[in-house]
Amino acid sequence: MVFLLALGASVIVAAASPKAGPESAKRPGPAAAVICQSCHGANGEGAPAAKIPRLAGQSADYLDKQLRDYASGARSNEVMQNFAKPLSEADRAEVAAYFASLTAPSIAPNPRATDSQLARGRQLAQQGSEAERVQACDNCHGPDGSGVPRSAPYLAGQSADYLAAELQSWREGKRKNDAGKLMSSVVQRLNDADVSAVSAYFSSLAAP
Amino acid sequence: MDKFSRRKFVATIGAATVAPASALLKAAPAEAVAPQQMAQRGSATLPAKPLYLFFNLAEAAFIESACERLIPADESGPGALGAGVPNYLDKQLGGAWGSGERLYRSGPWQSGSPSQGYQLPFTPAELFHVALRAVNRNFESQGAAFGTLSAEAQDAYLKTLEAGGVDLDGVPSAVFFDMLLRMSIEGFFSDPVYGGNRDMVAWRMIGFPGAYADYYEAIDRHGEKFAREPMSIGEDALRHVHIDPNIPASL
Amino acid sequence: MVQRLKEVDVVIVGVGMVGSIVAKELAAAGYKVVGLERGEARFTVPEFQSPAVHDELRFDIRKALMQDNTREPVTFRNASSETALPVRRWESFLPGTGLGGSMVHWNGQTYRFQANDFELATRTKERYGKNFLDKDVTIQDWGVTYAELEPHYDRFEYLLGTSGKAGNIKGEIQPGGDPHESPRSREYPTPPQKEHFQGALFRKAATSLGYHPFPQPSSNLSQPYTNPEGVKLNACVFCGFCERYACEHYAKSTPQTVILPVLLANSNFELRTGCQVQRINLDSSKKKATGVTYIDTAGREFEQPASLVITASFALNNVRMLLLSGIDKPYNPQSGTGVVGRNYAYQTMSSVAAFFDQDVIINPFMASGASGTLINDFAGDNFDHSGLGFIGGAFIGAVNTNGRPIQYHPVPPGTPAWGQGWKEAVVKHYNHTVMFSLHGSSVSTRQNYLDLDPTYRDAWGQPLLRMTFDFPQNDLKMAAYVTAKGVEIGKAMGAKLVAGAPRKAPYTTTVYQTTHNTGGTVMGNDPRTSVVNRYLQSWDVPNVFVIGASAYPQNASWNPTDTLGALTYWAIDALKNRYLKNPGRLVSA
Repeated sequence: MVFLLALGASVIVAAASPKAGPESAKRPGPAAAVICQSCHGANGEGAPAAKIPRLAGQSADYLDKQLRDYASGARSNEVMQNFAKPLSEADRAEVAAYFASLTAPSIAPNPRATDSQLARGRQLAQQGSEAERVQACDNCHGPDGSGVPRSAPYLAGQSADYLAAELQSWREGKRKNDAGKLMSSVVQRLNDADVSAVSAYFSSLAAP
Repeated sequence: MDKFSRRKFVATIGAATVAPASALLKAAPAEAVAPQQMAQRGSATLPAKPLYLFFNLAEAAFIESACERLIPADESGPGALGAGVPNYLDKQLGGAWGSGERLYRSGPWQSGSPSQGYQLPFTPAELFHVALRAVNRNFESQGAAFGTLSAEAQDAYLKTLEAGGVDLDGVPSAVFFDMLLRMSIEGFFSDPVYGGNRDMVAWRMIGFPGAYADYYEAIDRHGEKFAREPMSIGEDALRHVHIDPNIPASL
Repeated sequence: MVQRLKEVDVVIVGVGMVGSIVAKELAAAGYKVVGLERGEARFTVPEFQSPAVHDELRFDIRKALMQDNTREPVTFRNASSETALPVRRWESFLPGTGLGGSMVHWNGQTYRFQANDFELATRTKERYGKNFLDKDVTIQDWGVTYAELEPHYDRFEYLLGTSGKAGNIKGEIQPGGDPHESPRSREYPTPPQKEHFQGALFRKAATSLGYHPFPQPSSNLSQPYTNPEGVKLNACVFCGFCERYACEHYAKSTPQTVILPVLLANSNFELRTGCQVQRINLDSSKKKATGVTYIDTAGREFEQPASLVITASFALNNVRMLLLSGIDKPYNPQSGTGVVGRNYAYQTMSSVAAFFDQDVIINPFMASGASGTLINDFAGDNFDHSGLGFIGGAFIGAVNTNGRPIQYHPVPPGTPAWGQGWKEAVVKHYNHTVMFSLHGSSVSTRQNYLDLDPTYRDAWGQPLLRMTFDFPQNDLKMAAYVTAKGVEIGKAMGAKLVAGAPRKAPYTTTVYQTTHNTGGTVMGNDPRTSVVNRYLQSWDVPNVFVIGASAYPQNASWNPTDTLGALTYWAIDALKNRYLKNPGRLVSA
């Protein structure tokens, strides 16, 4: 859904959003975050089925960098670029900090994920695979994918469809904003089943 | 113990929590601290006593006081006691390393030059038991206890051990002191899974980020402080540190 | 009860980098090769994964990846007048064990030696005269030249994917590299790693003094890389857990990450782990090896017959293997006769600590094992030694690899060793100090050598290797000289306090220095002063090749690994194209 409001338009107080729950009423967000909430949810919980990622509690550094990369095109996504470009540096930092401060309940586990998928995903997450020469995701993404501040975002409780779409993007070389090719060099060695498995697994964990 | 009430404990910084303490049950009655006394000690939380499996009470008493002189609490943060260093020593000496893991233990036994290193037959566990027995016996024979001395007197005693020349039933005091100091530093700075460096206080004190270490982007920011809570090998997604299950410590 | 196995073409003792490369090449050429590794098999997944691998106590302090002293230490004394005693715990040097050997837990520092090093005796005499050296110094020419090894250095570096900046390509000096290096045929396979803050500070200061700083060549890669064997590596993330640790990211060049996948897929090669080789067996003439005898982890003894025996274990263990097998004559320092064990050398390490103000934030924990910036202006024979009274030198660099706090907590001289004063100093200086390394050469002498101990034994009942070593005067003078230069650089960096710590005698096994033990099965053109010829073939038993840093007649100013890699490919060339086609002496004695 494309929003016609330019971000410089009149301010709407975030707490007035119809989706607002008790959490967001505690701290009204910056004006610039309102538009984000219309897709990413009042509490930044995301819309998993629409592959819209959860932002609540995500590393502020990471969010800031992604907004910057969307704006410059380093991370390519037309919709997000439209939203990110008009943000000033200060706006960006504020928006990132705001979503980093939010909490939201975890999404329900995906009923379609099979036991063997989850087991395989867990193995890749915690140990990796020598056959594929892939290291454990947790090495960088923290214990149970809960994130390592200033290094890597959390994956736990993230939308499985979103994770799978991003992994696919890394694999195809469409997403390129990883410093040192740290993501693409690992992900290129995953096959389709592995991508589904690891996405399902992280999605099944409680979000931090 | 009175000594604790006079110490100034600095509140540990940071959110990492550990499993609730049950250790007070196991400590000797004389050393247990009643809850109301704890509340009166200001904002700092008195560290719970560890469950000692290796040290007996007299040994533990010496170790606790001695380690706290080696690494004292101050404005920068807790010292050996606050960090759980005596617990670390207890578990290491009571475990595989204490019984001589990785130590070549064949004779014949000869003392060598300093360049030739450790040449005693004692395992670390044996060395500590023998030395501590001798130390405590010396104090007892004078009707004293290391723990009741003033800080200055404790330091002076430790320096005599350090300088060598005191025979602790066959353990040269300098060797004992050296091992005590090394292990205290290990217990202070090692990963909390080993029972020391509680709540990663030592890492926080110096700014060492710990076991999760990806600095690919941060390394470009020359001269910029790397502001991140330290992370332990044993922490879970909720940032609780799980002590190694092979170390039956309770905190 | 010894079980005799089916004969194979080649048996290799030790499956570290040397063993892996030799095995791969010979198996690919169609030979049946058995590799005997005394340690266990281990791979990046699962054995090297973090966070478990980022455990300073386990890997740094308790030495989890190293040889177990309870089974096989060495004995040590500073001089023949003393009784050697067991090194009951490793500190000074840390012999590794296990599949992949010590290149699993190395730092990745990848330097070539210079042309001068390979003809050190000849060139020293030419430049400084024949009376320049102390009388006990026994440096020698290698019998092979840099030019002969250059293509093999290149091949090894491209196998590893080493990250660096060339300083001299075919004689043309390249900006940004080391102008002192001997000519290389092309650039490094990947560009240099990023420079950390301490490297940048060092660079600025060294340049201001007229020196030539350059990035340390690193086999912790700067970017993803696919090597000529088709094996892929990732970029290093500067985690600061390099030496003594295995890499979880597939970013450090190790046998596991550069060649084992290819080797293990070749059915001509059979890997056997947990096999402790006891000796190389000789026939009644004592001039031909028939194979090796080994004992597995269950204590069963086997004889593995082979036409060709290659010892590719760690330098010290290569020497011991020949001594235990009765190959060639053991060196006797009193009479000066014999060759096995002769010319043992080490590395002469000094350090400089530069302490800065609180506003200078160093972040020492952000580093790889080979990130950093250094100069070779005072290494090797890159400067005029006339009147100085020593040969050799050191590279000087801000090449600190970590901030792991049990071992790294620098404090200024005069700080108490414990107590309030110590703690304050640790907090004050941890993140505001730059430690330099001065990595110095090591000449060989008559009195530094290796042999078998008369008293102490390993877990299998065999005599331990005995090491007799102390720093020669030559190297101590060198250390003092280069340390003074290092202190000047520290001052030029704007440090508040600079403390130099030049290496002093006596050599002690109780303080870590390096695991760069060299010599003992020295290579050369003269069987009276070498154990192997220029192709690393034993003079005494021609179907035994001894490939390791034990071949070095003396040690140069740089880490030994790159040169060993080059010698390995050089020897493989001789094996594949000459020896195996027509077994016999490759060089007439």
